[in-house]
Amino acid sequence: MPALLDARSLVKHLGGRRVVDGVDLACETSQIVGLLGPNGAGKTTTLRMLYGFLRPDAGQIHVNGVELGRDLVRAKRAIGVCTQDDTFDGDFTVEQNLTIAAGYFRPRPTDLARRVAELLERFDLVSYAREKPETLSGGYRRRLMIARALVHRPRLLFLDEPTTGLDPQARMGVWDLVDGLRAEGLGIILTTHYMDEAERLSDALTVLARGRVVARGTAKTVLGDLVGEHVVVVDAGQGPAVAAWLAARGRGEPASVLGALHLPLSGEELAEFARAFPSLRYEVRGPTLDDLFLKLSLAP
Amino acid sequence: MSWLAAALEWQSRAVVGRHLRVYIRNWHTAFLPPAVEPVTMLVAFGVGLGGYVATLTWQGRPIEYMTYVAPGLLAYATFMTAIFQSLFAAFIRMRYQRTWEGQLTTQVELTHVVWGEVLWAGLLATMYVVIVSAVLIVIQWAGLLALDLRWLPVLWPITFVAGCGFAALGLCFTAIVPTIDHMNLPVFLLVLPMGLLSSTYFPLEHPVLVALNAGNPLYHLAQVFRGILIGGPVAGHLAGVVGLSALMLAILVPLDLRLLRRRVLGD
Repeated sequence: MPALLDARSLVKHLGGRRVVDGVDLACETSQIVGLLGPNGAGKTTTLRMLYGFLRPDAGQIHVNGVELGRDLVRAKRAIGVCTQDDTFDGDFTVEQNLTIAAGYFRPRPTDLARRVAELLERFDLVSYAREKPETLSGGYRRRLMIARALVHRPRLLFLDEPTTGLDPQARMGVWDLVDGLRAEGLGIILTTHYMDEAERLSDALTVLARGRVVARGTAKTVLGDLVGEHVVVVDAGQGPAVAAWLAARGRGEPASVLGALHLPLSGEELAEFARAFPSLRYEVRGPTLDDLFLKLSLAP
Repeated sequence: MSWLAAALEWQSRAVVGRHLRVYIRNWHTAFLPPAVEPVTMLVAFGVGLGGYVATLTWQGRPIEYMTYVAPGLLAYATFMTAIFQSLFAAFIRMRYQRTWEGQLTTQVELTHVVWGEVLWAGLLATMYVVIVSAVLIVIQWAGLLALDLRWLPVLWPITFVAGCGFAALGLCFTAIVPTIDHMNLPVFLLVLPMGLLSSTYFPLEHPVLVALNAGNPLYHLAQVFRGILIGGPVAGHLAGVVGLSALMLAILVPLDLRLLRRRVLGD
């Protein structure tokens, strides 16, 4: 049984710059893979190659066993895409958006009327079926975008920052839907800037920086590998002493957030830190994906 | 030549089908301009200007100005409909409505989107010309025209081919203008001069214009329509319309694709 998505050694140059540099990515049935990275890491370009929007300069992508470069149309039949921006068809109603989208797939989705009704019901869009999409709130627009990406019953779904700009309640509503889709067997590639979203939803994370994969695995593994076991939060007033202590260990400048320094440390380093600054007041917490982003964006 | 084969693929038809569905839904507003425009133009140019010109000589014989201008009106409608559809309507779909981006997340590729726009502009121009033809029949019935209306349906496939060629030209500007305000440049520097200097509304016999019009598909289109509806040479101008439209499609569609690939896909 081939992986739903198997991408190997992807390379892409844009504007003379190597924006994706040897990326590998895989996704299985009933799995959510979070694709993370700071701005400019190559996430969107990678995603666009994976769903056939851009052609890679090198590397191979197989979707459901079909090589994208050889048979793009067949491979795309198994793919559903929810783009970051709303790209629904403003000339049609919510319901018509689903039927129009279905018309862009062959073989045509079977029993379309039932499928559309089922999606409207599931995404709580029944009462808006005859409305134009622009009259919907942000959360319902996202629901429509995801419903449209599913109308042809794809096996692999790409969600590009699906909850950006939504209020907490709407975000959680989308999370529930995404979780339900995974339970039904869909493979999902998710990009997000919300760390809690990536941690809660993703079964595996792939972290990109400067076009390369810098870590992959569960959230815990990725954080352990790239950040450390603990993060010490100390007042920025202690900056020079702490920076000198870090420099003595060959470490760079710590991240500074709202007047506090955030130092990712291993267990051993934390013990040394406690010995070095016995009278210092500081907080110790577990690492989060925010720390990872801060670390990656500070990296030279 | 896969870009050429894409014109016949189901995805291009699906894009055309989408545009047709929008058109049919808005039929009451979509039907009105092509029905009213020829009446306005015939009143302005035919009755107004025709009052001063009365008759002119075409192919060595005198004809009423109204009869001269009516086939030109059909050619002008073909050109304006196709070019405005591929300039403004396509730009709005690409830039503001983001319809193209939505289509590109499906099995539709950019080549199909471009062919869909070209074929739709050709089809819309044909539908407009059919409506204008109906208006001309009514005007002729009122005794104001002397056209050979039996041949009107022959005009429609020619309209489609020419409309597709004009649309390929319009899409080039859609691909390169930064904002919709910049559409003024192609409209005032190319579209209006071409529309008016192609012997559509009045014969232009200045040697420079005659030389320029040899490579102008709109001029040949107006002349073919006159040849068919009034009686005159058709073959040379028909070859001009078909040949120049094919040339425009062969050169401009690949260029459109190249420019739009950069603009829409960032590739």
